[in-house]
Amino acid sequence: MTRGRDGGRRIDGSAGTLERWAAILGGTALGFAGARRGSWALAALGGGLFLAGAAGVPLSSPLRQAALPALRREPTTTQANVTIAVPADKLFRHWRNVRHLAALFPHLDAVEILSDMESRWKAHGPGGVPVVWNSRLDKVRENELITWHTLEGADLPHRGTVLFRPAPGGRGTEVSLTLAYHPPGGAGGDAVSRLFGAAPEQQAREALRRLKRIMEVGALPTIDGQPSGRAERGGAEARLREVTG
Amino acid sequence: MRALCWNGVNDLRVERVPDPRILGPQDAIIKVGLSSVCGSDLHLIGGHVPTMRAGDIIGHEFLGEVVEKGPEVTRLNRGDRVITVSIIGCGKCWHCQQEEFSLCDNSNPQPAFEESAYGHCTAGIFGYSHAFGGYAGSHAEYIRVPFADTNCFRVPEGVTDEQAVFVSDAVPTGYMAADMGNIKPGDVVAVWGCGGVGQMAMKSAFLLGAERVIGIDRFPDRLRAAQMKAGAETLDYSRVDIYDALLAMTGGRGPDVCIDAVGMEADSGGPANRGLAIEDLYDRSKQALRLESDRPAVLRQMIQCCRKGGTLSIVGVYGGLIDKFPMGAAMNKALTLRMGQQHGQRYVKRLFAHIEKGDLDPSYLLTHKWALDDAPQGYRMFKDKADDCMRVVFTP
Ligand SMILES: [Zn+2]
Ligand SMILES: [Zn+2]
Repeated sequence: MTRGRDGGRRIDGSAGTLERWAAILGGTALGFAGARRGSWALAALGGGLFLAGAAGVPLSSPLRQAALPALRREPTTTQANVTIAVPADKLFRHWRNVRHLAALFPHLDAVEILSDMESRWKAHGPGGVPVVWNSRLDKVRENELITWHTLEGADLPHRGTVLFRPAPGGRGTEVSLTLAYHPPGGAGGDAVSRLFGAAPEQQAREALRRLKRIMEVGALPTIDGQPSGRAERGGAEARLREVTG
Repeated sequence: MRALCWNGVNDLRVERVPDPRILGPQDAIIKVGLSSVCGSDLHLIGGHVPTMRAGDIIGHEFLGEVVEKGPEVTRLNRGDRVITVSIIGCGKCWHCQQEEFSLCDNSNPQPAFEESAYGHCTAGIFGYSHAFGGYAGSHAEYIRVPFADTNCFRVPEGVTDEQAVFVSDAVPTGYMAADMGNIKPGDVVAVWGCGGVGQMAMKSAFLLGAERVIGIDRFPDRLRAAQMKAGAETLDYSRVDIYDALLAMTGGRGPDVCIDAVGMEADSGGPANRGLAIEDLYDRSKQALRLESDRPAVLRQMIQCCRKGGTLSIVGVYGGLIDKFPMGAAMNKALTLRMGQQHGQRYVKRLFAHIEKGDLDPSYLLTHKWALDDAPQGYRMFKDKADDCMRVVFTP
């Protein structure tokens, strides 16, 4: 039940029209976002993607190769925010039981509780490369905040904060997750990307989305296992590509 | 089972696919009885909506019988005759609680595309591309419905299958279009597009208190149906200048409420509408080059025609970006713009009540009933609007 994990990549990996549209729309969004944040690199990247999409340049082209490192050079600190239609105490209790967190990060294999404040985390990177760290809680403020940091020797040293704040107008709780990566080599975002194959910003956002869905509806929505013309024919897409080159 | 699969632009085939299974505790499996084509399917088939994948089962307007349900489904029973709203709500998020079901936070399993393109992701829709969740559609023998308690509605005894099927999509979309117009007694409502949704918008405008309704199209059978069935006056945009005609009909004021039931593949109207030929050429070439995803001819015309301080209500589907949007006119004329995919779950009970009372009968939209095996030809006919086709409904 981890559809969110491949939400982005599924789309990326399929037909040409799709890629092109993703480039046009995504590129535009990125361009605007960049301009809004005053980031010319982002804005230019957005513009480039848009033009690539418009001109039908496949995104596996050199442009994309040039673009991706720019995307990956994320700041070491990343934050994601979501509003969940559930009271703060319920969310706090859920998060405080760190075993629950395995469901939020698809790369996590196990969370082992060592003591009230310490836990051991096992994850896997691409190709099943094991990633291990021990984590200790720093601050725990009932229904408000939890902070933690990894201990010496962690494969993925980081600090984290999750904040719960009542949302206005009975909308539930605003949850904000901050992760700061500081591996020995510097450039924390790069290390995370290398280990998990996605921008840390996106990972944080998807973790919060999973939390929201689990807390609001009790499950992650899925289409895995539903019928399509692909299943029986061993991939209509492959055939389509043959036809269209 | 058999299902209608999209395999590429204008390539539809009926194929053997696996039967759907219960994948979540709130799922139900519906044995499809009737499944209708919809104008917005044409955008998908023609490749105008991004993120279709070869092999996807399309179709989102349907009626059927509950044959299986997950352990958490409480409001439905096996054997129930139901319609399912085409747009999927989870029933639990803040938007669903506000009855804004098409803005559901949780029903789209593939939110990444919409988030990057639109800033946020919206609800999942059956058979409606992977941007909208990638759910398998209803042109099949069976369909899986997630969050069935929220999205399936039992059809009252006195309502026929042919009336009920359109309560899945066309009727609530038209009704919501009229509802968003905030129609007041004495209002004149103009509706661009006299297909299924447009017809229902006209009928709904009267139900909500409009004094006059004007339907705009160029197909004689649709214009006739708008007159005879929906009680509208009509304008043929291939023959008259729409701006001149609407102003003449409204004492120079313009319609109070303008409804767009056409969307992204709008036709600009030909020689009768001044200057629009050049505009049409501009939009078509930009759309063909993928420099503009949608053709906004109807939107531009509505902004010109709408009375000062009036409301535009948009339910025709747009996918991405449009060019040359007359913002100056919209702002200086103090227009209200409202729009959205339908929040059908909000309206179903009200609509069934109208049908039972006899003041609404959507069954006339069903002009052709075909076997599912003939679905590709059915879509061709619907697209070409051949044989006065309003909607083809497939029976698996
Ligand atoms: Zn529809
Ligand atoms: Zn919802």
